[in-house]
Amino acid sequence: MENINTHTPQVAVSQHISSYKLLFTVFAGLILLTILTVLVSTTFTFSVSLAVALALMIASTKALLVAYYFMHLKYEPRFYKWMVIVVLALFTFFVIMLTIDYFTR
Amino acid sequence: MTTTIAQPSYLEGKKGLFSWIFTLDHKRIALLYLYAIIAFFLVGMTLGLLMRLELLNPGKDLVEPTTYNQIFTLHGVIMIFLFIIPSIPAVFGNFFLPLMLGTDDVAFPKLNLLSWWLYVLGAVFALATLVFGDGPADTGWTFYAPYSVKTGTNVTMAVMAAFILGFSSILTGLNFIVTIHRLRTPGMGFNQMPLFAWGLYATSWIQLLATPVIGITLLMIVAERVFGIGLFDPSIGGDPVLYQHMFWIYSHPAVYIMALPAMGIVSEIIPTFAQRTIFGYKAIAYSSMAIAFIGYFVWGHHMFTSGMSGPAAIIFSVLTFLVAIPTAIKVFNWVATLYKGSIDVKPPLLYALAFIFNFLIGGLTGLVNGALAADIHVHDTYFVVGHFHYVMFGGTGFAFFGALHYWFPKIYGKLYNIRMANISFAIFFIGFQLLYFPMLVVGLMGMPRRYYDYLPQFHVPNVVSTVGSWILATGILMMIANLMVAYWKGKKARKNPWHGITLEWQTSSPPPLHNFDKMPEVNEKGPYHYKNAMDQ
Ligand code: HEM
Ligand SMILES: [Cu+2]
Repeated sequence: MENINTHTPQVAVSQHISSYKLLFTVFAGLILLTILTVLVSTTFTFSVSLAVALALMIASTKALLVAYYFMHLKYEPRFYKWMVIVVLALFTFFVIMLTIDYFTR
Repeated sequence: MTTTIAQPSYLEGKKGLFSWIFTLDHKRIALLYLYAIIAFFLVGMTLGLLMRLELLNPGKDLVEPTTYNQIFTLHGVIMIFLFIIPSIPAVFGNFFLPLMLGTDDVAFPKLNLLSWWLYVLGAVFALATLVFGDGPADTGWTFYAPYSVKTGTNVTMAVMAAFILGFSSILTGLNFIVTIHRLRTPGMGFNQMPLFAWGLYATSWIQLLATPVIGITLLMIVAERVFGIGLFDPSIGGDPVLYQHMFWIYSHPAVYIMALPAMGIVSEIIPTFAQRTIFGYKAIAYSSMAIAFIGYFVWGHHMFTSGMSGPAAIIFSVLTFLVAIPTAIKVFNWVATLYKGSIDVKPPLLYALAFIFNFLIGGLTGLVNGALAADIHVHDTYFVVGHFHYVMFGGTGFAFFGALHYWFPKIYGKLYNIRMANISFAIFFIGFQLLYFPMLVVGLMGMPRRYYDYLPQFHVPNVVSTVGSWILATGILMMIANLMVAYWKGKKARKNPWHGITLEWQTSSPPPLHNFDKMPEVNEKGPYHYKNAMDQ
């Protein structure tokens, strides 16, 4: 939206108000995933790599939940979602290149 | 149109030190940056001259070997983090982005002031290494592990300086992105924005997305030094190549933080002094975005000789060559803009042309470094030192001083002596070539970088280079003196001395506090449509 020589946006920014119920459900989910992380690290002791990989996947899921519900990404315009996607894509590329380097050395 | 009563300029109004260091006006903040940045440039230049003096003759003349190492580290840190990275965005971006967009300030003026204060704090940390601990770091500005973890010099403090300066840079980037999205004057879409704004836009995204990576990397160095966590030092389980990956994931994109705003400056100066529509507006605008984007994928070209795997090196080499495409697009468009223009050779244009010349040499020598096989030969030689001075100093440095000459009348409302500006430019330019071209030659001959001494067969090019450094310094001091004289005694400048048509020329020189006394008129056919400008 355009905005003339002023710092107050012309359009009222629509605010989304999430219900307590939803927020607590997500919170409970996060707690469950934390417990799951602990379980994974104690049961998959035969393969450290597997345990780390699983722990990282769980952690990413948690981060997404936080961004989506607690940080309101779910209710933001598409542009913001694209920003997150681009950053994630860049990050993925970094990890892929580091992995290629390590495994072909 | 009624003419309103002229408001006092931003330079008049409130007086006193506090009205400056706590100002929220983007123009005053820009000047705070300008003075700080020029001061640090002169400090860095003095260190550079000192190194060149040591290298005049082989053998030890002036300084101890360790001192030499500390000098080039401090020179690098100052020139990179205190001069070239903030230079154009923090000074000219701050001053002219709001003016060019036809608005009254950046989106977050307080954040803007905070980022200047962070800059000052970072500078204090960098200089404090001189007096605290065992002196300034001697690692090189790259702080490579594991040496940076082991050396007794004050690496922790130097690294914290870079960390804090990173935050300053992130905040500036954030501010510009929001300003460009939200505060463009009515009628100005993205494609009616001046190309300098496009350059800043692409730069800001890099500042926002890449700088945090260096932040965390530098903190990891501190963690390893202070708590002995084995991240990078192989003797305690770390991997030194990981450090290099993380460092260059930021520091390669950072070279575009330096280059893109400079390209934006050139894209402003050339149409004004050719009085001609820019050739390929969209190609220049979008190639900035392309450069910013591709810049994220090429960091590994700094690591060809450091033990990275062969397949990874090949991938990075191929990706590196891709950056040349959008860069060449820009050079082509600038030259095409000049073609059949009514060219008026004034100091700003000279600086812009010098940018193209130097950047071409810097870019082409960059391709030599980017080619996997050739790099094995030239890596860590003076060829690299020559290359990056051509890009950063010959490119961005010249663009910075070009911008200063272009906008000086607008900033201060004064005209400088054109003849003196031309003469000092010529001395600066000749000194520059004498200083750095021999470095390319002596590098190919095999002289390594970062040593206080060299073999006798490298003597002649080193003498030329040192003499060049004196000529360059003379030119720069003359240029600054000329501008200072203009500030005190210069003739009053009119609104639009160069007949530019971007919006900053529609307000008085110097501009009033709120930038425009009446709404600026946006040129519907784009920011460089010169036809209707001729009749003013
Ligand atoms: C003003 C005149 C300048 C002189 C005389 C000068 C001279 C030098 C010399 C001789 C070296 C090589 C030291 C060595 O490898 O032994 C060097 C390194 C360096 N210079 Fe400059 N320079 C100047 C300006 C600049 C500018 C404007 C920039 C940045 C925009 C810059 C950035 C650097 C960096 C990053 C290094 C590498 C430091 C390191 O190896 O860690 N210099 N300079
Ligand atoms: Cu690079």
